[in-house]
Amino acid sequence: MPLIELNNITKQFERKIALSSLSFHVKKGEMVALIGPSGAGKSTLLNTLAGITAPNTGTYLLDGVPIQHYKKRKELAKKIGVIRQQFDLIASLPVIQNVLAGRLGEWGFFKSMLSLFLPQDKQLAANALNRVGLLDKLYDQTSKLSGGEQQRVALARLLVQSPAVILADEPVASLDPARAEDVLAMLTKLVKEEGQTLVMSLHSVEYAKKYFSRIIALRDGEVFFDLPTSEITKEHLAELYLLKEMAL
Amino acid sequence: MMSKIKIPSKKRRFSFVAFSILLALALLAGSWGHIFYAERANFFTLFNEQNAEYAKKFFSGLFGLQEEKPAFTDKEAWINAGKLTYETLQMSVMAIGFATIAALLTVIPAARNIADGTLTVSKRWYRWILFGFFRVIYIFSRAIPELVWAMVIVFILKPGILPGAVALALHNFGILGKLCAEVIEDTDARPIRNLASSGASNAQILFYGIIPTVMPKFLTYILYRGEVIMRTSIVVGFVGAGGLGQQFKLSLSYFHYTEITLLLICYIILVFAADFISEGFRKAAK
Amino acid sequence: MKQLLSPLYLHKRLSLTLVLLAAFIWSLFSVTWSRDLLHAGGWATTVQILEGLIKPDLSPDILELAVESSWVTVVYAVTGMTVALIIAFVLGVLGSGVLVSSRPVRIVTAGFSRAVLAIIRAIHELVWALLFVAVIGLSPYAAIFALGIPYGGILGRIFADMLNDVPGEPIQALRAAGASRLHCLMYGYLPLIRSNMISYTMYRFECSIRSSAIMSFVGLGGLGYQIQLSLADLHYDEVWTFLFFLIAIVVLIDAWSNSLRKRLVL
Repeated sequence: MPLIELNNITKQFERKIALSSLSFHVKKGEMVALIGPSGAGKSTLLNTLAGITAPNTGTYLLDGVPIQHYKKRKELAKKIGVIRQQFDLIASLPVIQNVLAGRLGEWGFFKSMLSLFLPQDKQLAANALNRVGLLDKLYDQTSKLSGGEQQRVALARLLVQSPAVILADEPVASLDPARAEDVLAMLTKLVKEEGQTLVMSLHSVEYAKKYFSRIIALRDGEVFFDLPTSEITKEHLAELYLLKEMAL
Repeated sequence: MMSKIKIPSKKRRFSFVAFSILLALALLAGSWGHIFYAERANFFTLFNEQNAEYAKKFFSGLFGLQEEKPAFTDKEAWINAGKLTYETLQMSVMAIGFATIAALLTVIPAARNIADGTLTVSKRWYRWILFGFFRVIYIFSRAIPELVWAMVIVFILKPGILPGAVALALHNFGILGKLCAEVIEDTDARPIRNLASSGASNAQILFYGIIPTVMPKFLTYILYRGEVIMRTSIVVGFVGAGGLGQQFKLSLSYFHYTEITLLLICYIILVFAADFISEGFRKAAK
Repeated sequence: MKQLLSPLYLHKRLSLTLVLLAAFIWSLFSVTWSRDLLHAGGWATTVQILEGLIKPDLSPDILELAVESSWVTVVYAVTGMTVALIIAFVLGVLGSGVLVSSRPVRIVTAGFSRAVLAIIRAIHELVWALLFVAVIGLSPYAAIFALGIPYGGILGRIFADMLNDVPGEPIQALRAAGASRLHCLMYGYLPLIRSNMISYTMYRFECSIRSSAIMSFVGLGGLGYQIQLSLADLHYDEVWTFLFFLIAIVVLIDAWSNSLRKRLVL
């Protein structure tokens, strides 16, 4: 049974069609890259997958259950974790609190209040930070970290949250190439180790080919192609980006 | 699965922030301690029968339950209160006018970047003296509350609107001066220096460079202080400086409770109206 | 820059300035300007007051009294601010609506809280003091509540505005990690506005010192009370001593809040 099952999803904003009858499945453990020109609907798709945006029509089954049946936030947080471009962290809190925020869904009220003063489940946070190579920054204020380090803190939070599916919306767009590769390599490695499923939107086809086994290309809210990386040719890509420009 | 790793220990450093937290806690403990022990003020004895009786009398008085003809149903009283509100409004406007004039006359030398010459490129030895002098005056002016200024002023001026306006202006002059001096200090120096290096005189720099750049912010601050003055205008009346406050104090000492209700209504309307108008103006000034 | 200098824009600001100027001139007509405005001995009094400024009374007795009443003034400012912060926190959070998810409920609770904040801050602390003294008599709590309620209104409104201005992304990320609204408040909203909240509270603390000093006007101790007594005895030199203490407290708190603000920038 596929983990993510999208059937004929459409989403309309005002008069603009963001997604039109979109269907695809993602199996457990798959690594999927979403590419396509800007405005193709990548972000809307990811927001739909995360349950933030409700589609107008179509069905979305997450682990065999319709997404709207996940009433409790903490159930959803077990299934889906999100990482974005940046600004995702609370810059004025220490790194450890940002990492432990991944546990908030699990904790009761008193434990989470107490943790603000005496961090709980410290070992868990330390482990996660160790895996992203930031153990020494445990107590630093998050705002003092560089952009790449902040994204790694966001990764550590995902490790602590440990969802079945990770949705990443251009997580490296604001980083310089070297840092971007670091974060991507780390994210894909961790996902493989944890046996998770990853869906990531990217503007760089290079990265998509290098780190992902399957690429879904979107254009004008539709699936343009959905192929294993090995089958993608230059012509595919030329068509994906060129046609858009000609239409303009 | 989860391996034990050594968690690095937190580096503890005595920072200014930590010092501030300790100081704040000490102040809290000392102050509440003073209230509980030195003043022997028990919070719960407040809720005794006697106070309940007073409160009942006071509130039923405010709503005019014992009076046959409460002030707020009386036409004469409304006219009188309206007149006082009008006076208070005049007092506030006059106060903000005085404060603005005084602040504008002194603000230029009171800005640090004028004193050290970064804004005008010219340096004069006496500028630092002027800077220090006006800054000290500002501190004096704003550290002393309006009411204390009013208490002193009524020794010099006869009761009426003028002493109230002067007292309000004396306090707000320092606040406006400080705020406006900071605006000048925050202006981008480059265009003004260009003006100076192209041979403009000091007066030209002032009228073509500085004033147009800082005026919008000044206006915002003047309007903001105007709101505050409107709210404070009532208290200078307490010491005989005219307006709603003076009548309020009189009514309270003669136990004319319904008059108090009426005056409070007028006062709140005045404050809300001032807030509303000033917000509209501030949006227009942006 | 072009937009800045558009004629309409200049026109708007110019007319605003003219309106304000006209209002000021109108206000000047309320006073009949003559020598009669001054008390008979007005000039002489002014000279005496200024003499006191140059030669304040620095005798040990007065200094001791000044230190003591300075402490009392600080005590009421601190206790009043405690009450104010509690009011501001509760009504500010409710007024921002960040804890409520259903839209109609949020509009009602936030609107109601903001209305309460507007009313309690419109009334000056001294008016509150007079009302409280009328009800509970000359208790220290009259001063504490009289200070705390309007300051709570002022702070609460600003807190609510700050909470509403928090950027959406980090909060959304917390929600995605499974945080409830209360979690978002503790782990998101509050840490994000913390430094602004502290600077503004410090600024208001400085104001509360002045307000605390004038609480004496309704018969509660402190610097204002001593100033009033000395004025009644026409001892202007003593008045200035107490005023210098008041100025010193305000300057000290100002310096504290400035250096704290510099270290709090995120």
